[in-house]
Amino acid sequence: MPNLTPEIVPALVAGGASAKVPDEVPARFKAGDKVMAKNIHPTTHTRLPRYVRGKTGTVVHDHGVFVFNDTNAHNLGTNPQRVYNVRFTAQELWGPGASPKDSVHIDLFDPYIDPV
Amino acid sequence: MNGVHDLGGTHGHGPINPEANEPVFHADWEKRVFALFFGTFAEGMLNVDQFRYAIERMAPAEYLRSSYYEHWLHTYELLLTEKGIITEAELAKKYAELKEAA
Repeated sequence: MPNLTPEIVPALVAGGASAKVPDEVPARFKAGDKVMAKNIHPTTHTRLPRYVRGKTGTVVHDHGVFVFNDTNAHNLGTNPQRVYNVRFTAQELWGPGASPKDSVHIDLFDPYIDPV
Repeated sequence: MNGVHDLGGTHGHGPINPEANEPVFHADWEKRVFALFFGTFAEGMLNVDQFRYAIERMAPAEYLRSSYYEHWLHTYELLLTEKGIITEAELAKKYAELKEAA
């Protein structure tokens, strides 16, 4: 981030700063791939919600490469990783009582998911 | 971390009732707390992920009781004291002064 000057403040306040980075990181997954969210319970920072761990979903979109929050929160570097939008059916997440029409889309970093 | 912030799928929090014509800030102090983010970030005192992780480390009951910008205030106090940029004694002194002035 550049030094904070009055000129850049309005754009920062309105839009924030993107964590997207130009690094080249190979894509392990593509739209349509089945993936399973890892069942991990780090005591450190993570953007992997508990309710999706161990659940199977389908990759919908590859967002590109972003600063990896899990390492950046702990001074372990930006460690850029790909982020995928993954669709989970409501029934996969919440069981047979959930609507068969509903689903949840979650943006997940590559290290959060395994191929199925 | 498996903290109280990870609310997805939990029951019993009641309905979400958005205010009609909700203002951006509900009190003047919230503006200062918002602005502090840009100053501390630009000075390299914290990054956004450290910021979030410090909020996640709030005591669970305190986290649920407090407001959005109280979470932000907590994160500055925790990170800046952890990094030695301010001391707990300085913070306590300031709070005492503010209480005196109120």
